[in-house]
Amino acid sequence: MSALPKRSALVAFVALAVAVLAVLPHLAEPYYVTLVLPAFAYAIALLGFNLLFGTTGLLSFGHALFVAIGAYSTAVLTSKMGVKSFEAIVLVSGVVAVLAAVPVALLSVRYVRIFFGILTLAFGMLFHSFLFKFYDLTGGDTGIRVLRPTLLGMPFAELDKTAFLIGPFYYACLLLLVLLGLAMWRVVHSPFGLQLVAIRENPRKAEYLGVRVRLFRFLAFLISAFYCAVGGAILAINTGQADPELAYWTHSGELVFMTVLGGFASFFGPLVGAFAFIFLKSELMGATQYWRFFLGATLALIVIGFPRGLMGVASDLWRKACRA
Amino acid sequence: MTSFFDVLLGGVFHASVLFLVAAGLQLVFGVQRIVNLACGSFYALGAYFGITAVNWSTAHGAPAWSFLPVLVLSGVLLGAIGPVIERLLRTVYKRDEAFQLLLTFALVLMFQDVLRFFWGATPQQLGNLSMSYGKLAIGEVSFPTYNVLVMAASIAIAVSLGLFLQRTRYGRILRATAENREMAEALGADVRGIYASVFTLGTVLGTVGGALVVPTAAASLDMPVELVVEAFAVVVIGGLGSMRGAVAGALVVGLTRALAISFYAELEVLAIYVIVIAVLIARPAGLFGKPVE
Amino acid sequence: MNTQRRKILQGIGATGAVLAAQPYLSFPAIAQNKPLRIGIISPKAGVAGTIGECGLRGTMFAVDRINAAGGIAGRKVELIVEEETNPKDSIERLRKLVLQDKVDCVQGIVSSGVSLAMGAVAEEMKALLIFWDGTTQDGVKETMPNPRYVFRSTDNECEAVMGSLLAIKHWKGQFATIAGINPDYSYGRNNFAAFQALLKKFGVEHKVVADQWPKVGTLDLTSHVAALKAAKPDLVFSSLLFADLPVFMKTAHGAGLMDGKTKFVFPAAGFQHTLLKKEFTPEGMLFGHNTLYFNLDNPTPLQKAFVQEYEAKYKDYPHWEADRAYFAMQVYKAGVETAYKAKNAWPGTEDVINAMEGLKVDSLGGPGQMRKDHIAEQTFYQGMTTHKNRYDFATISDVTKMYSDQLQKPAGADFWKWIETAQIKL
Repeated sequence: MSALPKRSALVAFVALAVAVLAVLPHLAEPYYVTLVLPAFAYAIALLGFNLLFGTTGLLSFGHALFVAIGAYSTAVLTSKMGVKSFEAIVLVSGVVAVLAAVPVALLSVRYVRIFFGILTLAFGMLFHSFLFKFYDLTGGDTGIRVLRPTLLGMPFAELDKTAFLIGPFYYACLLLLVLLGLAMWRVVHSPFGLQLVAIRENPRKAEYLGVRVRLFRFLAFLISAFYCAVGGAILAINTGQADPELAYWTHSGELVFMTVLGGFASFFGPLVGAFAFIFLKSELMGATQYWRFFLGATLALIVIGFPRGLMGVASDLWRKACRA
Repeated sequence: MTSFFDVLLGGVFHASVLFLVAAGLQLVFGVQRIVNLACGSFYALGAYFGITAVNWSTAHGAPAWSFLPVLVLSGVLLGAIGPVIERLLRTVYKRDEAFQLLLTFALVLMFQDVLRFFWGATPQQLGNLSMSYGKLAIGEVSFPTYNVLVMAASIAIAVSLGLFLQRTRYGRILRATAENREMAEALGADVRGIYASVFTLGTVLGTVGGALVVPTAAASLDMPVELVVEAFAVVVIGGLGSMRGAVAGALVVGLTRALAISFYAELEVLAIYVIVIAVLIARPAGLFGKPVE
Repeated sequence: MNTQRRKILQGIGATGAVLAAQPYLSFPAIAQNKPLRIGIISPKAGVAGTIGECGLRGTMFAVDRINAAGGIAGRKVELIVEEETNPKDSIERLRKLVLQDKVDCVQGIVSSGVSLAMGAVAEEMKALLIFWDGTTQDGVKETMPNPRYVFRSTDNECEAVMGSLLAIKHWKGQFATIAGINPDYSYGRNNFAAFQALLKKFGVEHKVVADQWPKVGTLDLTSHVAALKAAKPDLVFSSLLFADLPVFMKTAHGAGLMDGKTKFVFPAAGFQHTLLKKEFTPEGMLFGHNTLYFNLDNPTPLQKAFVQEYEAKYKDYPHWEADRAYFAMQVYKAGVETAYKAKNAWPGTEDVINAMEGLKVDSLGGPGQMRKDHIAEQTFYQGMTTHKNRYDFATISDVTKMYSDQLQKPAGADFWKWIETAQIKL
């Protein structure tokens, strides 16, 4: 882990970030504010994803599956079952994802490393095919509509969708991010979290020391699924539609990309990565039609030159500044 | 009965092409422990470049029947990018496998635009060249000769690879490096050179696969990301790192798909996933894989 | 290559000629100098990349001509092109175009899934959006029941309806068993279902002996063709329309399925028409070219000029996506100019929308109209394949022309009920 500044400095830094995010809607252009919503969604999703990857050492190439489950749960809840409460949607989507994660995790945690990645990729694509095939249920390629949720029971009907998104919904998501972030911080720094680290560092040794490796991997997997689904719910509400492409394996690849961009070895890395990626992608898409090439080149650059990601670069600079 | 044969042959043809790509994956994984997500990109590159090569050679007077050797040759020539990409991957060998996987994902993204930059968005094809060799008819079953040649080529390559790995000295060194890299290095094997050759060979298998399939199909921009899924299913079923697994997995996937299409068309893609899961539950390491921890 | 993303044509400013043509000036000349910004969202990569490319070429043709003639009501058109990918990312691009680039209009979209999601967002943002394509039957009622800001193209199934009608007209009584091989998504499903519904309506006895649903864009159809062949259908209906179509044609031809005994209906063959080479595309099959058939016997001067320019510039022949794109631009132009004349000042979005409803325009493929319910009417072309042409691919002869008022449901109707109950002429 990179050297962390003192706890009080950390708290101050986080408080500053939250404050900046809180005033952003009043300062920034509306388009960029709408971009922050997917950044929130991915930040939450990646908090969970990195529990599995950064902390436990398991690289999944199929976690878009749970993002999609979150999106589709939201769609079914709002447009087919009339459940509009955002709080209920978040909870139910998370639970559905955890339930779906049980069989996937049971099969996958028997494996490690590369095989785990391949397997999770296959499961993600299985869900993608399922979404296409059972079109009566899932809407096929067109997906399912997602209606506007109510926040704490309030519908904000007087606001149009954009105003709702960059207004009350923005703050609801920010709050959710803070809460889920705090929860994840506790998880990572709990005995459970430390044991996950031990499993990552040396599974056999951890086994010897009495850590129940498979069980803990399994649990980490379930938690990660919950977080990804919450992210998916936010994405779906932002888009207004849940569609199968959310489950495609390249979307899973983007999750990994964001995590590594921010720095998977740091708690805040994935959060930074989510924001950085969303803005990078948007600017690249606007600048050139060959944005995939430059996005890939960026990833290659990070992997080869800056493996600890943006947080790694930041902590290096911080250390240099402290020494100076 | 004839229709059953048609179906079977169709499945085996699909399996032949899948085998080539899977063999490339298995070889590279077996020796270097890298899973190449860009295998589909190489396949697509082989397809597009093959078309360009055939069009070029036809424009320069080559006879119609020469397109098969031209395709194979163009696939082999593309192997030149193998060492280049391997050099790139070499920068992350010492790191966690996750980085290697990610670097190949970066390649997938980059290749998508490279393909579009050179060949554009319109699908490319080779017209009806695959019919130049006519049809083979046994009784009522008729099958384009080209498809049979591809299947034969695939079998030939499988056999050669097998012989190469089992019987030749270099093959044995490769297998030793796959088993235990440090030991092989200590015993004098030029691991760097081996990695470069293995990756190049894996690349060539992919590009040749793409080149061989293009006369009966087309080259399209979504090939790179679509193929990865099937290739991975083959590898999971067959067992990661095993050549025999590549053959077995390819046959299973190809035939399952063909049978599903004939008897219960809706199942097509899902049938393969069902088999993947069934194999994993029954034999976690795949049909021929080594047991994992 | 020539698809620069931004600022294809800069607004240069009103010329004296334009001012002279508009005697009732009562607005600041500065407004006239600003270019009219139009956002285009179309696919560039993947299975629909080639379609988006053709569409964009149609848009650029329209804009070149418009700007050469002085622009739309005197303002030059400036295009901002974004890529259509999946619903989530495409909607972000829409938001960027509307909120950041502040475009006056957005045009584009090929995929049904994206159109459904984007339509709802555009309505909420009160952003004028004109679809090129997309929107099949399912889901539209929920997402866009009464669109105000969104204008849609013709129903996706017009070509299926037309193909079915022509198949019945030409071949009624000549087939008893049918087979379908259609792409596994809403378009393919609805097309085949429409065909069967029409067969039922006209009392054509038929039995479905094979029903194939290859994944969209599948490039290996050997097993599918083998299964079709084994079922021995009298007629095959296929709405395959991407790279899978020429692959199917080749494979079917190679397998002997096209020996003349089986009849083929391809309602949407036009997208890949130049890849359907004569060697493996026999004559006598029913091909649909939707709203643009480039090789008409008596084309309008507009179409002739377009096809010639397209051939010279791109060494290729256009298909109907270019027409859809052109139509969208023309409807917008006509709407703005009509509203401008009526108001004597630059029209707002509401004025343009009101003007566009009911507007008739001439598109590349033929005459068209924007209905009051925001769905387009256009001219459709289908015919029998023939090899009698100067190209290396099959074209069509015996071209039937049908206006979409005979092919698509009227305002407010349900598609399936309409097929059952309406007076559809053969």
